[in-house]
Amino acid sequence: MSLFRPLLVRSLTMVGVFFVVLLMLVLTLGLTGFSDRILAATIGEQLRAERTALAETIRDPDEMEKVLEKRREELEIFYGLRTPWYYRLPRTALRVLTLDLGEARSLRSFDGSNRVFDIVTERVPNSMLLLTSSFIITAIIGIIGGSYLATRQGSWLDRFVSGFAAVSFAIPTWWIGILFILILSIQLRILPSGGMYSTPPPTELLPRFFDLVSHALLPIITLVLVSFGPSIYSIRTITLNIAQEDHVKIARAKGLPESRVRLRHILRVAAPPIVTGLMFGLAGSVSGSILVETVFNWQGMGRLYYDALAGTPDENVIVALTFIFTLMYVVIRIVLEVLYVFLDPRVRYTD
Amino acid sequence: MNRASALQVLLRSGPGFGGVSLLCLLIAVAVYVLLVFPLDFGESRWSNPIVWVDNPKAVPPVWTNSLRREARPPHRIFEGTEPHTVQMARSGPVHSWRFPLTYASSHPPTFLAVTLADVKYAERPPLVLISLKRPDGKQLRIYRHTVRGPREGESGPFLRYGRTPLRVQLSTDEATVTAVQNFLADEFDLRLDGAQIGGRVDQFLFGVPTGDSVKALTPLTGDYEIIVQAALREEGDSVGKVRFVVGGAVFGLMGTDSLGRDLARGLLFGVPVALFIGVISALMSTAIGTSLGIASGYLGGRADITIQRISDIVANVPVLPLLIFMLFIVGPSLWMIIFILVVFGWPGLTIQIRSMVLHMRTNQLLEAIQSLGASRRRVMFRHILPQITPYVFAQLIFGAPAAILSEAGLSFLGLGDPSIPTWGQILEAGFRTGGIYLGYWWWIVPPGLCIVLTALTFMLLGLGIEPVVNPRLRRSPP
Repeated sequence: MSLFRPLLVRSLTMVGVFFVVLLMLVLTLGLTGFSDRILAATIGEQLRAERTALAETIRDPDEMEKVLEKRREELEIFYGLRTPWYYRLPRTALRVLTLDLGEARSLRSFDGSNRVFDIVTERVPNSMLLLTSSFIITAIIGIIGGSYLATRQGSWLDRFVSGFAAVSFAIPTWWIGILFILILSIQLRILPSGGMYSTPPPTELLPRFFDLVSHALLPIITLVLVSFGPSIYSIRTITLNIAQEDHVKIARAKGLPESRVRLRHILRVAAPPIVTGLMFGLAGSVSGSILVETVFNWQGMGRLYYDALAGTPDENVIVALTFIFTLMYVVIRIVLEVLYVFLDPRVRYTD
Repeated sequence: MNRASALQVLLRSGPGFGGVSLLCLLIAVAVYVLLVFPLDFGESRWSNPIVWVDNPKAVPPVWTNSLRREARPPHRIFEGTEPHTVQMARSGPVHSWRFPLTYASSHPPTFLAVTLADVKYAERPPLVLISLKRPDGKQLRIYRHTVRGPREGESGPFLRYGRTPLRVQLSTDEATVTAVQNFLADEFDLRLDGAQIGGRVDQFLFGVPTGDSVKALTPLTGDYEIIVQAALREEGDSVGKVRFVVGGAVFGLMGTDSLGRDLARGLLFGVPVALFIGVISALMSTAIGTSLGIASGYLGGRADITIQRISDIVANVPVLPLLIFMLFIVGPSLWMIIFILVVFGWPGLTIQIRSMVLHMRTNQLLEAIQSLGASRRRVMFRHILPQITPYVFAQLIFGAPAAILSEAGLSFLGLGDPSIPTWGQILEAGFRTGGIYLGYWWWIVPPGLCIVLTALTFMLLGLGIEPVVNPRLRRSPP
């Protein structure tokens, strides 16, 4: 069966998304003259460093100026400042694509490296930990709660959840995080207010793990709290629509046990749209996790954004972060798309 | 369904009624703010520290006193222009102002400050004296200031402290510390050096030292009086304005932040800003989404494919990282935020509208109209658009909270427009300066509640309007 073609189409769309984002990055950097400014600043910094070195050997100020001017020209050609941005930036984009991300201005990785690649990559697992665990918890609560609620249509619980889902859309995730810190960490002192480990971190494996869990608890609860309402509600609606279809009635009429009807005839059919719904929820949780990491000082990529924006902004880090975030998002999406193709037999036959 | 009955359905539903009444409230507040506040409130007031200099810093709202066992002192400002009494002394007229202050709290004031403005004199500069009369009958002079004399080449009459009034923070003023030092030595036989008094001036002024320990002070409550005297040299000399501030430990309806800004005013100004952001971005992205959706569905062919591909891609872009990136490059401005929200906000609607239009295109009415020779534009605007308007309207309302929340999130990351204070920015300030870890809840909770309330208003409205728009949902309750 041709599983290949739909897989290819879906993956290509996501690759398209990826390239569009890259294109937008390049265009923004180029059209606003921002890239030129960064390069000029880099060259200026390098020249200043060289001037002090040269001052040892060259005494004559005129000669010094001449040497520096020549050096500036060399550097401008070397960095490509002499070529217009639309020639230079595609090359930069290619460089970024090969994960050659340059060097950070002031931010350092945990072991002191100033390569953006090191700084960003050591934070990816931290972000993924928060993002995937809350995403999976939300999905599980959504599927269990949603399929249960579908059997209790119109009950007070059903109405409560639909109201709660609506309210969830009106609540900023990060503010809930702040409230949790204010109440649980500052007032009641139950859970830590931020960071990933206590200082000093426990060295043994098991205590270290529990320390991490206690720090991850609040951010994960925050992320789940605002997303599980809508998740339950949408899954309930999807399941409800399918439960009213004829083939379910037939299955019941045949006398199949209710659990089998629910699992094989309702949930199995509902799986593809549920996955689609989760995919759309993903974009929301990526955004949510950026802000929640900031609030809880979780050393992931979201917090890195905040740190790179505060004080003297670190351009290279911000460009790299936007790029890696998109990459991460695209990869998760492709995984879900593959899952979708396997779940929904219909995609294999139609285009 | 006509408009009147639509409104009736809307108002009869719980969410609809809630949404409409909340919206009326928000609009009323927004109108009030637009009438009362200057439009450049952000630049001229909110980010201008001089405006807030006489406010206590980071103190809770006044009403928290009723929740506390022990009341905290309220903020008191005394202002005088015309002197209360005028006496003639040998040196010249003496203008004096007397401000009675009943002090009931066992907390000392957070600070004492005096401001003098518009001092006029003809020849010789006046002398200003400030004394504090305490409930125990003791009186001490806490401040003494000779207005600056004529400069070389300057001729009278002289105006001093006209544009920039003289403001003295008495709690940290060296002369006041010395005055308190002498007062304690004379009245209580307590000899302390300046370092022991510094920082605790207010405690000594509003307390009685007890026993041996330097730290032991009992607060002194009762009727105080602040006496400001200006010894003028000639008839016609004057002090235009005298202002004495007794810093409280509670302030206003909503408290203050660490710069002394009145949070109630910042929160109020946030109302029209949030409504503006929500409504404008929702309107624009709905307009784009709807027109592209109609075009895509009705025109078909290459236009359809192009629009669908583009919206597929834009809909799948992770927006927040890109928003952060763009704002960082272009610089924070409210218009930029709205622009980007619109640019990324339309695809969802386009995809939905397209499928609705595709469905509609096959209906016979449209076919008949087309065969009568109606132009494509006419069909799209006169026959398709009206049919989907109710649905579009509901989507418009659901779009507003998303925009408000996005702006708040960006502001929280420090990318807010610095010239326009928003709720997100107030929260950001509270977070960045560590107000949250000090438990300054009045700085953190209300702006978030405002965001939630405004977003909720639109959500409720949308939920209330859905049954009006979509008759299938208008079923009798089970």
